[in-house]
Amino acid sequence: MTTLLSIKNLTIKFGGLVAVEDFSADVQEGELLAIIGPNGAGKTTVFNMLTGIYKPTSGTIEMEGKNLVGLRPNQFAANGLARTFQNIRLFHNATVVDNIKMAYTLHSSEKFFPALLRTKSIVEQERELDIEVMRLLKIFNLDQQADLLSKNLPYGPQRKLEIVRAMMLKPKILLLDEPVAGMNAVEIDEIASLIRNIREKFNMTIILIEHHMNFVMPLADRIKVLDFGKTIAEGNPAEIQRNPKVIEAYLGGGYNAIA
Amino acid sequence: MKIPKHLSKGILPVLGFAAIYGLIMLLKSFGIANNYHIQILMFAGVNIMMTLSLNVVNGFTGQFSIGHAGFMSLGAYGSAIITTLILKPSVIPSSMQIPVFLMSLFIGGLVAALVGFLIGLPTLKLKGDYLAIVTLAFGEIVRAGLRLVEPIGAARGMIGIPTYANLAWIFAFVALTLFVVRNIIYSRYGRAWIAIRDNEIAAEAMGIDTTRYKIISFTFSAFIAGVAGGLYAHVVSFIQPDTFSFVKSSDLLVFLYAGGSGSLTGSIVGALLLTALPEALRFLASWRLVIYALVLIIVMLYRPKGLVGGYELPFLRIRRKELYEGVTESTVQDAEEGE
Repeated sequence: MTTLLSIKNLTIKFGGLVAVEDFSADVQEGELLAIIGPNGAGKTTVFNMLTGIYKPTSGTIEMEGKNLVGLRPNQFAANGLARTFQNIRLFHNATVVDNIKMAYTLHSSEKFFPALLRTKSIVEQERELDIEVMRLLKIFNLDQQADLLSKNLPYGPQRKLEIVRAMMLKPKILLLDEPVAGMNAVEIDEIASLIRNIREKFNMTIILIEHHMNFVMPLADRIKVLDFGKTIAEGNPAEIQRNPKVIEAYLGGGYNAIA
Repeated sequence: MKIPKHLSKGILPVLGFAAIYGLIMLLKSFGIANNYHIQILMFAGVNIMMTLSLNVVNGFTGQFSIGHAGFMSLGAYGSAIITTLILKPSVIPSSMQIPVFLMSLFIGGLVAALVGFLIGLPTLKLKGDYLAIVTLAFGEIVRAGLRLVEPIGAARGMIGIPTYANLAWIFAFVALTLFVVRNIIYSRYGRAWIAIRDNEIAAEAMGIDTTRYKIISFTFSAFIAGVAGGLYAHVVSFIQPDTFSFVKSSDLLVFLYAGGSGSLTGSIVGALLLTALPEALRFLASWRLVIYALVLIIVMLYRPKGLVGGYELPFLRIRRKELYEGVTESTVQDAEEGE
């Protein structure tokens, strides 16, 4: 296995507050790494640093040997890191198809002046793009809603669409920020099978943030636990479930005393 | 003879435009429409172009420019200087008048685009309302600056601009503008603009270089405004800096939002109706401004997205459906084979 992403000693301070301290991880090709932790532990902050939205105070983010710290978010995306958001951020007034096509901007080779005149080559490129988008929608069972405005989709499909949109970037690593937040049991199962599907069909490397233990445990290869910005535990799901520090972080110090 | 589908689709709107033009000329020959009506139509045409230009930035890219009259004046002065001071009608053969006119419009557009690019470069890197403040200041700077330049008449303005632009030219330019704006909206560029408008953070996270696409949008918009300004100068034959004041910019904003921001049809409807309305209300004398404002309030109360917000005439949109209808089956097959 090769290391795709190498994160070293990532620290970020907001004023006097150390939001994340010394976060390090090596992400292997094809694995699913989950980051868990209580509210406010700094999970999303780690994601924001990994996608260029926040610039870390110190530390490095190396993607296939190239340090990405200091680049703009769109350059992180161009280097193969695509994300979804905890609070859904779709392009609400665009159709499902257009939402996905928008994520192809980076790869598109349409030129400005031919686009102005809509030359044959533009028409052809658009047609090929439509075919590709429809194929992707078909795989993820969203093709029936292709022409709906994304704001008119129900909540579950909106989350799904965000994941499919990130896939259109053809990323090397997919970062999912609480993909099942606010979902019911049926929808959670659906997202779990969607993630399995992505791993099988595209051999996608995934970093996942989630609270929901029943969802994370069967999916993850490896779990890192954050609490107050510090990494308190790391290991496979079975190890994490037994780790006393993790239990304490989640259930409070009194838990052991009672048990 | 059967006309290929893609051709017939492109020809229909052109025929439609020609038919409307023919109808107006017919009305004129019967004496129903007079030169005053034609003049108002020409102003409306220029306003349609200006509103489309503003729509690109405000409606589709979600930025807020409130100094678009500044670009219009750059185009107006840029082209008028060429046709009135440098290559004036008395020094060029009459056969060269139209080429010179078209070239002057192009140069007027380029001047506006260049300035738009230079303003956009530092401003559009920032998120938020900075563009509004900068464009507001820019509009006033251009106006104040032009008032100081003696060779182009300073505050008195430029007179004797040849009236090259007739209704036919206006029609042609409105049609051309609609054509290119529609095309660009349904390409990578337009999609990137809409993505930035709908959610800038997500657009960036999806690999869209937001600064670059905002600058492209702004420069393109400024070019159209420049050409529209050039046309305006060659309709009225007299321009002065105060024509392009903040009042003009705010009129354009009203056209845009009353018609429907983010809709090309809305730009046509808004500019056309609101250019004609004050003229139609002239019999009310001073009361017309009250009625005009009242109409705007009613529109915004009952049609908050604009008169035709969210709607697009068939020839102003490019539907995806026909693009992949023929491939749906093979797509399904491919997907099934993959399983």
